[in-house]
Amino acid sequence: MAVYKRSYRAYSGRLTPEWSRFYILTRYALGNLFRSKFLTAAFVMCFFGPLVCMVGIYLNHNASVLALLHTRADQIINVNGKFFLGFLGMQGGLAFFLTAFIGPNTIAPDLANGALPLYFCRSFSRAEYVLGKLCALFYLLSLITWVPGLILFGIESNLSGVAWMWENRSLASGIFLGSVIWILMISLIAMALSAWVKWRIAAGAMVLGVMFFLSGFGAAVNGVLRSNIGHYMTPGSLITRVCADLFGVETPIEISVWSAWVGLLVMCGLCVLLLSRKVRAFEVVR
Amino acid sequence: MNPLWIVQTLAVLRLELRKTFFSKRGFWIYLLALAPVVLFTGHSLLEMKNHRVCDFGQDTNIFATVFQIFFIRLGVFFGCVGIFMNLFRGEVLDKSLHYYFLAPIRREVLLVGKFLAGLLATIVIFTSSAMLQFIGMYLHHGWNVVSDYLGSGNGLSHLIAYLGVTVLACIGYGSVFLASGVAFRNPLIPAGVILVWESINSFLPAILQKFSVIYYLKSLCPIQIDPHAGSFFSLLSINADPMPAYIAVPGLILLAVAVLVLASFQVRRMEINYATE
Repeated sequence: MAVYKRSYRAYSGRLTPEWSRFYILTRYALGNLFRSKFLTAAFVMCFFGPLVCMVGIYLNHNASVLALLHTRADQIINVNGKFFLGFLGMQGGLAFFLTAFIGPNTIAPDLANGALPLYFCRSFSRAEYVLGKLCALFYLLSLITWVPGLILFGIESNLSGVAWMWENRSLASGIFLGSVIWILMISLIAMALSAWVKWRIAAGAMVLGVMFFLSGFGAAVNGVLRSNIGHYMTPGSLITRVCADLFGVETPIEISVWSAWVGLLVMCGLCVLLLSRKVRAFEVVR
Repeated sequence: MNPLWIVQTLAVLRLELRKTFFSKRGFWIYLLALAPVVLFTGHSLLEMKNHRVCDFGQDTNIFATVFQIFFIRLGVFFGCVGIFMNLFRGEVLDKSLHYYFLAPIRREVLLVGKFLAGLLATIVIFTSSAMLQFIGMYLHHGWNVVSDYLGSGNGLSHLIAYLGVTVLACIGYGSVFLASGVAFRNPLIPAGVILVWESINSFLPAILQKFSVIYYLKSLCPIQIDPHAGSFFSLLSINADPMPAYIAVPGLILLAVAVLVLASFQVRRMEINYATE
């Protein structure tokens, strides 16, 4: 058989722009997420709450229903800061449970199977790798938090008029900002634990455990030391304080807003630090 | 009972105890158990440093609240998740369960041996923690006050009740999580469901409350928490219809036995396929 000389030729096709290369990881991560029927079912169930709220808002403005119940608009549901805080609380809780199941699948398998060198021998930086994985979670959790929140805001604006929308514009920014910081925090916690606890199931249990444990321990610290220090170690308290401020609602959590912001940023920073220690192209196994 | 089964159970127990107590994977359970000890002792040391003494009654109530809300519901709960789910699922992940299954030993005996090992480990870890918490909490009150409370007051009965509740919590949660580890490939799902079920127990109808571990444990705690006293967490401890101890203790043990019997049926049919894990 004749052997012909085959010289190297570089790829001459279209290259993915450098700035959007992290999105390749996001695309593949998202593709893998819905392989589990349980997760798909859980994700679909997350839309039940927004649907009920949507129907409630509609009925709140439906003249026939109001006449039937002998009430006026805003008496069935008062769509204000408290309403959206409750809505975000409910959806945020569901988002957290979803993250506990999805989050550990992001980095743990790559680390456990030694796949990181394969990623980093390509033109990916470590930051892009983390960003790509984070975006998959962000995209998914956005669909059940701020996206339906803003849709509800839009529906209410449509039914109540432009004046309501203008008066309550801070609610829309609150929905977006509150959701984004919550998503960022729970995603980073899940990813950091996923990187440090390579066993996927244990990482999921750790995500649940860390959040519940910190909440309980924070409450215990407050009780034993008769202080408010415990709130700073409770992610739920910190986000509630921040969101309450964004929505202009009173809260029993007696810490200042700026300190709650600092607390949240410190938690996120800690997670990034943990990720940067683990997400490397090589690993020394002792 | 066949005497061979006892010998085999003890052999499994010996092997598993070493793994449970000294495994690197279970290191965090010690941290979980020690966290409230550090909190109580730190508080006492701080008070002693400032030459202050807290109100004894208030401290007793705070201890009861932390014990019920934090220690049992979170500490012992997650500790049992870590230890008992690992007994079978951990072996599957380490690809070592087939060594047990190939040995001439009944699977039920293996299950009992593993359960006893997990139980012994959790009891030692968490009752020690409860004891140290008790000492840590009252450290700054001085020996005279504490000895009065233990001797003349109802301190000793309270301490025994707390330790007993801890042991029963280990039995109850241990059996449930061992069964989950046998039945589910991803034990996180049952753990999450049980966590939610136990958390909302106070708000469930009376008949449904009885299908949980925390209902019996709450009934056995020596001090009932005032739901208006503290934060939202105090609401979780509402126990409108407490069960008397002579029903609660055998009830919980029967629940554990029933769960273990179900798990033994499951483990008999268990097939190992490491490739799917």
